[in-house]
Amino acid sequence: MTFLEPVADWIVGVYNFRIVALYADEFARGITNTLLAAGASLALSLILGTLLAALRLSSNRLLSALAEIYIQVIRSTPLLLQIYIVYFALPLLVPATARWPELWIGILALTLHTAPYMAEIIRSGIQSVARGQIEGALAVGMTFRQRAQHIVLPQAFANIMPALLGQTAILVKDTSLLSLITVFDLVAAGMLLNSERIKPNEGFLSVAVIYFAIYLLLLLASRFVERKLAGPAWNKATA
Amino acid sequence: MEHYIDIFQAVLPSLLEGFWRTLGISLAGILGGSLIGFLLGLVRGQHIRYFTPLIGGYLHLLRGTPFLVQLYVVYFVLPNTGISLLMWDSLTAVLLCLAIYTSSYVTEIVSGAIRAIPRGQWEGAFAIGMRRGQTLWHIILPQSVMLILPSLGSVYVNLIKATSIVSVVGISELTRQGEINILRFPGDILFIYAIVAMIYFCYCFPVLKLVDWLEKNAGRQRAARKRPSPTPGGSAPLNEPNVKA
Repeated sequence: MTFLEPVADWIVGVYNFRIVALYADEFARGITNTLLAAGASLALSLILGTLLAALRLSSNRLLSALAEIYIQVIRSTPLLLQIYIVYFALPLLVPATARWPELWIGILALTLHTAPYMAEIIRSGIQSVARGQIEGALAVGMTFRQRAQHIVLPQAFANIMPALLGQTAILVKDTSLLSLITVFDLVAAGMLLNSERIKPNEGFLSVAVIYFAIYLLLLLASRFVERKLAGPAWNKATA
Repeated sequence: MEHYIDIFQAVLPSLLEGFWRTLGISLAGILGGSLIGFLLGLVRGQHIRYFTPLIGGYLHLLRGTPFLVQLYVVYFVLPNTGISLLMWDSLTAVLLCLAIYTSSYVTEIVSGAIRAIPRGQWEGAFAIGMRRGQTLWHIILPQSVMLILPSLGSVYVNLIKATSIVSVVGISELTRQGEINILRFPGDILFIYAIVAMIYFCYCFPVLKLVDWLEKNAGRQRAARKRPSPTPGGSAPLNEPNVKA
């Protein structure tokens, strides 16, 4: 087995997994915060995004224009700047938020950032339902609620599911910027390891691998969903 | 009010200096990224054994990790390998990182656009004796350009927004200049960030509008000329209304 020793030495020299194991607790805390931030802002931005999509599609010109301006402003400025603005501006505008933990502020900023993208996805989903479907539902005398519940939303949801999962993957990656406003997320855990042990390989490669693992899980989920939904509801034929 | 005008005049020169830096970095990034992405996309678009899956792995690797982490890897990990060639300064690291990051998107777009051209076009060109390179250059690429251009615009906007992240490794671009100015005027954080946001907006918004315009017009032109392909197996068209990132 002696010929393996140089190999083992080389591996430990490049990537000393024992040091990473020492920081397992920090990494666990980082992953928790990252997933927490991503999950919370996903849920919130879906709600806000649905609202925005409804405003965009509403017949009220003023509301629709306001939603449009919001969407364009968010799309045309960097996320990092938006996070900084929320982080510094919120305590000035609403003094009660000065005592909030940074994670909450980060979730709020990510929600505000992701909601317009969600709104665009949801809007395209609603508009992707063929006109004839709604006319058919009207013809058999369905009410607005019934049309939405049984005809439009299931098809819209099936259509946008892959896009939603893609946006979720982007959201998970975006949470990495929260480390810059001192949220202890995955990147912050890697930073901590690097600054205490001066081991950038162990610190940042581990972080990259963990993010990649999360991405692969989402990718698998999206493949699964695409296969599952590829039935009649998948209205490629009607689009 | 006068206070704000004073501050505006005081911070604008350095913010504009930061903007020029941002402009330079983003232009270099789009050039480098397009070059790498175009070459990889050409290969990925035509099912070449070993290369196509290899490039697929490259894309997933870049898609699956945040830009911040990629930047840290290029800036901290690669110089740590001990190879003197990789011990670059922060600007080189940033430009390389942006180019690689952009290339992943460009590759996907170019390969998608090439696959969107019906197989019959290839077969027709081969039938009249064109070689692969000739077919690409004379038949496939001219038709793909109109599919590539609009998506390239939204990649460019993405890139501009990503340049704000490079402030963390000490490049004094727009966001960093904003932070420096906030150190000078700590009482007006919000105002200075608002100016910075406005400058970004003035840079990105026209590009986004151009993308919308290109999508509408380039798409229409192509749709008018499109004929159904007699050959099955041409892949799905790219111009499904998709959400711009």
